[in-house]
Amino acid sequence: MRFVVRMAVREIRASWRRLILFFLCIALGVGGIVLLRSIVQDVRVAIARDARGLMAADVTLSTSRPWDEKTREVIARRLAGVSVSGRTEGLETSTMVRPADERRPVAKMAELRGVQRGFPLYGTVELEDGRPYSHALLAGHGALVRPELLAQLDVRTGDEILIGVSRFTVRGVLVSEPGRRVAGFSFGPRIMVDAADLESTGLLGFGSRVMRDIQLKLPDPAIEPLARQLRIDLRGQFVNVRSFRGTEDRVGEDLSRAENYLSLVGLVIVILGGIGVSSVTRVFVQQKVRSIAVLKCLGATSRQVFAVYLAQAILLGAVGCLLGVALAAAGLASIPWLFAGQPALASIPNTMTGSAVMQGVAIGLLVALLFSVVPLLDVRRVKPSLLLRDASWAGERDWVRWAAMAGLLASLVLIASWQAGSFRIGLAVSMGLASVSLVLSLVGAGLVRAIRPLASSRSVALRHAVLRLSRSGNQTRAVLLAVGLGAFFMVGVRSLQSNLLAQFSVTLDGGAADMFLIDVQPDQVAAVEGLLGERTGRRPPPAIPVLRARVTGVTGRELTLRSYEEVRRRGELGREFTVTWRDHLQANERVVEGQFWGAGRAEAVEVSIEQGLRDRSRLHVGDTVQFDVLGRIVNARVTSVREVDWRDARQGGFMFVFRPGPLDKAPATYVVPVRGPADATSRARLQRALVDRFPNVSVIDLREILQNVERVLSKVTLGISVVGGLVLFVGTLILIGSVSMTRFQRIYEVAIFRTLGAGTRLLTTMIALEYGVLGLLAGGIGSMAAIGLTYYVSRHLLDIAWSPNPSISLAGMAITAVMVCTVGLLASADILRRRPLGTLRSE
Amino acid sequence: MIPRFPSPTAWVLGLLVLACLPACRQEGPSRAARPEAGSEASAASGPNRGAEPGRPRIVALGDSLTAGLGLPKTEAYPALLQQRLDDVGSRFEVVNAGVSGDTSAGGLSRLDWSLDGDVRILIVALGGNDGLRGLPPDEMKRNLAGIIRRARERQVAVLLAGMETPTNMGPEYQRRFHDVFPALARDHKVAFLPFLLEGVAGRPDLNQSDGIHPTAEGARLVAAHVWRVLEPMLTAASR
Repeated sequence: MRFVVRMAVREIRASWRRLILFFLCIALGVGGIVLLRSIVQDVRVAIARDARGLMAADVTLSTSRPWDEKTREVIARRLAGVSVSGRTEGLETSTMVRPADERRPVAKMAELRGVQRGFPLYGTVELEDGRPYSHALLAGHGALVRPELLAQLDVRTGDEILIGVSRFTVRGVLVSEPGRRVAGFSFGPRIMVDAADLESTGLLGFGSRVMRDIQLKLPDPAIEPLARQLRIDLRGQFVNVRSFRGTEDRVGEDLSRAENYLSLVGLVIVILGGIGVSSVTRVFVQQKVRSIAVLKCLGATSRQVFAVYLAQAILLGAVGCLLGVALAAAGLASIPWLFAGQPALASIPNTMTGSAVMQGVAIGLLVALLFSVVPLLDVRRVKPSLLLRDASWAGERDWVRWAAMAGLLASLVLIASWQAGSFRIGLAVSMGLASVSLVLSLVGAGLVRAIRPLASSRSVALRHAVLRLSRSGNQTRAVLLAVGLGAFFMVGVRSLQSNLLAQFSVTLDGGAADMFLIDVQPDQVAAVEGLLGERTGRRPPPAIPVLRARVTGVTGRELTLRSYEEVRRRGELGREFTVTWRDHLQANERVVEGQFWGAGRAEAVEVSIEQGLRDRSRLHVGDTVQFDVLGRIVNARVTSVREVDWRDARQGGFMFVFRPGPLDKAPATYVVPVRGPADATSRARLQRALVDRFPNVSVIDLREILQNVERVLSKVTLGISVVGGLVLFVGTLILIGSVSMTRFQRIYEVAIFRTLGAGTRLLTTMIALEYGVLGLLAGGIGSMAAIGLTYYVSRHLLDIAWSPNPSISLAGMAITAVMVCTVGLLASADILRRRPLGTLRSE
Repeated sequence: MIPRFPSPTAWVLGLLVLACLPACRQEGPSRAARPEAGSEASAASGPNRGAEPGRPRIVALGDSLTAGLGLPKTEAYPALLQQRLDDVGSRFEVVNAGVSGDTSAGGLSRLDWSLDGDVRILIVALGGNDGLRGLPPDEMKRNLAGIIRRARERQVAVLLAGMETPTNMGPEYQRRFHDVFPALARDHKVAFLPFLLEGVAGRPDLNQSDGIHPTAEGARLVAAHVWRVLEPMLTAASR
């Protein structure tokens, strides 16, 4: 044992200069893991916090009926099993509010929310002028109101308003409050009061429509199981159970997509780091073969030699890991400084998480150990005679080695599953990893065979490049594997990122409408648009006519339904549809069959149907569909089929779109989307002006909610972009390290070539050709395979639309080739300059 | 069967969700195949049974309560009225002109469209959405009066069904809203059903989970109320 330690120390002392590069490469791999996992975890925590802020609770139970004893009991029993760290109840209703001053009889619709002392469990209530919120503001019939209400009622802070039969004093102006989700919009501005005071208004009696909720704050692991359990317990009780991670709306879906993406990236980082560490270890062991032979000459047993080098590999790994953690810490510390100019970026959290350090170090050590064991097993077969002549062991079967490799693979899959946090993602990535590795090895072998004829080429450089690629025991496969996998994952992450961000940008369209006027009557459209143009200074988007219609019959190629009864039995077709007419397609629509009518009107009734509806109902172009439009029968011929991108839901989507003309006389109402002014007071004035002039029109204002969502999503977007950029950066560094490791093999060769009279130019061309071919192949295979990875992950794991990104793939390929070539040349530059005699002597 | 946006304004909100919100795809494929409670074909199939010219008509102009939101159309009260008419051997055909989410203003706008054919009786069952949205009762009164007047001009008899607004809207608004209907009935001397949802509203067992729309059982009660007022009008109207 002492021998092993002493020997290991001696060896390291003798070659520490060379080991520096090894250390650095391992440090890069481990540092990359620690740095990026820390950031990923921080970003995830930030996302989760914001998601909780959107709902203001971990779990919310809501119902439109009063809580009865039985329901409360069920809930209490279920909650007894978990440690609930916060609980608050609230109620919501809408009502007419007016100033308490009798001389001003103006009454406006408002949305009333009663809260208890514990509100909010997450997030903060923001008040105008930055005043802090406390529940005391609501005590004794106090109210916090949205600025729109002040403008509509013409009251100010300190005035009294009448809610039901009670007087409330306006104590402050609400800017934003947590707990408003996208689905929860209403017809009036918000008022917040104490829940107990709300009871005193007399508004909650028989025949009242009130939503009641219970909000809970729970330890993280308990959230999903509890929500699931409560959903089962309360089935049929008209209670809606939501967890903050719930995916019942788009924002929830987007957030969980972001989380999945980040855990995927975390896994990819580990693999990239592992590639870095493994290539270092492999080269290290290869270099030691001659020393091993010497040791064996001197009587060392295989076991002792094995131990000596394993100890060295572990030491190497350990020191490299420590260095890596230091690198990561430096990287994290520099984030605020790097992004000092951009406050939004500087706010990215940058604490090093303990678990990330643990994971990075553990993976660094494990990978170093695993990847050194396999080549070190060869030590057993290194014979002293190796000193005298080159020997090759090709063709021998070594079961121990196979077993070690199988163990290595199994460990890698385990690491992948542990890292991914999601089994499906772990599996997808492991499968991708395995198949790309297989393809790369096959291609490596095939390549060697394919280019062998070139070995008799007239060009000396080409000949030798080929010979070198095809010689056994060289770096062809190793580089191909490392670079190919690197390209695979980096291109994959990059194109996933662009797909994901495209998804978010649809949600985050800054210029989209944030206010909707509904029930605008046909004769009011022009006047409403005029008023809007005047007030907002721009033309509103065209008003959308909407009608309700039912299908009452079909005469078609595949489907014939003669009565509404028959239609109704077809399920979907039997429901009431919202239909519209227009002469153009929306941005999110595409005609997939037939022809969409152009401008101009027609006498015959034509209708365009949605693709999914066609597929499910077996309606076809040319079929005649009978509609009951508000009591009148209309026969329409299907002339086209549209594909609607439902993700881009802001554009709206209709199953049936009619050609303008015959339906114009039908009594449609119009929906007018408006991009309202940004500040609350002018919005309120605009709404008031609209409602005063068009009393039947209702305004739905979504700005506040959309803003909350936008704030969260833009943070997520930013986090994803930064993480993606860092993956590229760190991954590139790791690959540069791996490629430059191969220089050691070249030192001796270059010296021999020089002795035989090869010039620098010839040597450079040889090296450039060799690396160029490798880089191009690895980049090509990696990028192509990445398309598959992106497709699978987009469609099956993130559930987003997938669009191919040829520019990213091509760029990935080109950049990989150029990079490998450049790094190969640069890493060999000093070898080319070195005098051959010196090398020959020292080797 | 549980509508996502449980109010007579459901379709509007559904549309809005489409138009602006990513939240849920009311029209989207995911929601598309909503199974509807199966009731085997009853004699009176819901909407118009195609063109049978010459049959005198009764048009029910209303909102989701008339359209039968959340119910198969054959279980909404107009279809039940048709059944009763058929049972007593009347030739009248009931047209369901209920539009979910419609207000009194909407009803006024589409009146001409709905008074198609040989319409003898117009059931006016509007106002629910005006009340839920806090629209001014005076405005609603003007709209309903317009509907009554224009129907009268065309020699169509009118049955006005009253509506209430939920308690949470506040006592003052509730009273002003309530007063509109008896006043209209008095001023225009039309047949009057004081409250369409009498005995149904507020009773959990007769309403769907949204607490607003009647179940099939509730709809039968509604049909019975309307029938009580409608039946005496038939003789005069069939001449």
